[in-house]
Amino acid sequence: MKNSVVSLQGVHKYYGELEPRLHVLKGIDLNVAEGEFVSIAGTSGSGKSTLLNLLGCLDDTSKGTYLLNGKDVSTLSDDQLSQIRNEDIGFIFQSFNLIPQLTVFENVQVPLLYGARSISDCGDLCMQVIDSVGLIPRLEHRPSQLSGGECQRVAIARALINDPALLLADEPTGNLDTSTGDEVLALIEDLHRQGRSVVMITHDPDVASRAERRLLLTDGVIVDAEAA
Amino acid sequence: MISTKHLELVRLGLRSLLGYPMRTVLTMLGVVFGVGSVIAMLALGAGAERELLREIGRLGIQNIIINSVKPEESTDSSSRANWINSYGITFKDHRRIVATVPGIKRALPVHVSKRTVWSGSKRVEGTLYAVMPEHLEMFQLNTSVGRNLSHLDDEKLARVCVIRSGLLKELSIFEDPVGLPLNIGNETFHVVGVLEDDAFLGYARKALSVDAKSSEIYVPYNSILKRHGTRSITRRSGSQEATDVELNQVVVSVEDLDQVLITARVIDSLLDRSHPEKDYELVVPLEVLAQRQKTQKVFNLALVAIASISLLVGGIGIANIMLATVTERTKEIGVRRALGARRHHIMAQFLTETTTISTIGGTVGVLVGIGLVQVLTLFTGWTSVITLFSVLLSLSISMAVGIISGIYPARRAAGLDPITALRHE
Repeated sequence: MKNSVVSLQGVHKYYGELEPRLHVLKGIDLNVAEGEFVSIAGTSGSGKSTLLNLLGCLDDTSKGTYLLNGKDVSTLSDDQLSQIRNEDIGFIFQSFNLIPQLTVFENVQVPLLYGARSISDCGDLCMQVIDSVGLIPRLEHRPSQLSGGECQRVAIARALINDPALLLADEPTGNLDTSTGDEVLALIEDLHRQGRSVVMITHDPDVASRAERRLLLTDGVIVDAEAA
Repeated sequence: MISTKHLELVRLGLRSLLGYPMRTVLTMLGVVFGVGSVIAMLALGAGAERELLREIGRLGIQNIIINSVKPEESTDSSSRANWINSYGITFKDHRRIVATVPGIKRALPVHVSKRTVWSGSKRVEGTLYAVMPEHLEMFQLNTSVGRNLSHLDDEKLARVCVIRSGLLKELSIFEDPVGLPLNIGNETFHVVGVLEDDAFLGYARKALSVDAKSSEIYVPYNSILKRHGTRSITRRSGSQEATDVELNQVVVSVEDLDQVLITARVIDSLLDRSHPEKDYELVVPLEVLAQRQKTQKVFNLALVAIASISLLVGGIGIANIMLATVTERTKEIGVRRALGARRHHIMAQFLTETTTISTIGGTVGVLVGIGLVQVLTLFTGWTSVITLFSVLLSLSISMAVGIISGIYPARRAAGLDPITALRHE
């Protein structure tokens, strides 16, 4: 059996200290094996964003354990979580979240600024990932000079720069038209075929169906979409 | 390895600043003017200090100047049995000082009298200084034309004089003045030299009791003393007054600089015994200089403190803009946090930006300050000195302003919750 990249066991998340607490995630068990492409669909209010924040190590669990790539991340400090986000997670956001004043090259380079590696050794690496998303001609452009699809490809390149254990995509096609969205999804599928582990969160059943395994988040619990 | 990363952070910080050029420039202006005025104030302060040193230093810091002072006129007319008004330092005092006060290099006597000077039909009032030749040397009274007074002149009781060029103008003399006869009082003196245009200024003039209104005429000491004695008669409308001051001034040079103040005290107590009416005063340039410098330092400090207020305002300006920037860039902060930036990275980013603003502003401010000083010097004639110290001080203060004004905004940025920041639109 392959190693688990993500392993959630009995994870609860609630907000507020006093009863009645807002109980968002109600006992989630989730395993994502290495190289797997999993989609988690759910209507708004189902707890998708909360789950995404947990998976992305932006937030901690109220109860239960979260093992990312074998490491228990539920008890880490702020700095340690930052390091995990930097090294083990590649974020792809709905609204791309590129830094407007930086060029394509510099945007892709940002995670390197916060990691342990020297950036001067990584010029080739940056070029390589930018090449892999086909944006070499756009190297010196600013996000405002790019189309939505190009922006998302820059974001994907940025997510890949530190060779993360997990790619975490949050509605990656939400701000794109259907055909551009398809291109981006095709790129993600490519990455999956190259052995990347991907968790994609979306409300769109069509997008969700591109994944290898589809899950459904309903009212704070996860069910298998195929079974549902 | 770390340094390239830091350089990159600085470069990207600059990039952010260049993203809003107008705002950055306006924010910088506060620091520019703050540093500019600090530089200007320091330069003017240092200039005033140098001027002071030049003015008082010219008196010679190893010297003690003893001036005869006319005592307050006694209203009791019976005490003025003699119609000759006699006061001041006497030859005896001079001899006693030379003989008894230790550590004295020399004590030069000076006799001053007001005389009418004629040249042809032109007439001016002049002040005659009967001095030893060393006197001119000591106070750097150098001739630009002709020669200075010599010992030979003194021994031969020669009727020669060294004059200020101002006197020539007053007497409308335009030909070569050397050898020119001047009728001073009832005698004819020949001009042997004209002094450089380097008049005594401010305090030095007062200390040497040089009259600003009339030109100085220097003659050999003995030529006057041996020929005329010390009495002078001043005619006023209807009455006349005779004064007899043996010596108007004695300039004592002390061998050892450390002994100047003690020697001054010794001389004072010596003179005090024979002059109960206090008809003399002691001027100790060293002491005056120290006092003036102390006052000037306090004044300089006050000037700089006032100038620093504008620097403070500049700092507040940076903090204000940075706070706005933090709000505006909340999303970017969230993104950076998601990509692995730790709190201290965010701190560093904003501090880099504020420090960059203030340091560039400070550098421009130094140039503005130097320019301001040049303009002020040009239009007011004040002396100014721009020291390396003042430049380095201003630059370090401006850097410190950047860091201090950046701390609060940077802490706020670093304290943002990544999830909230990411969701911020």
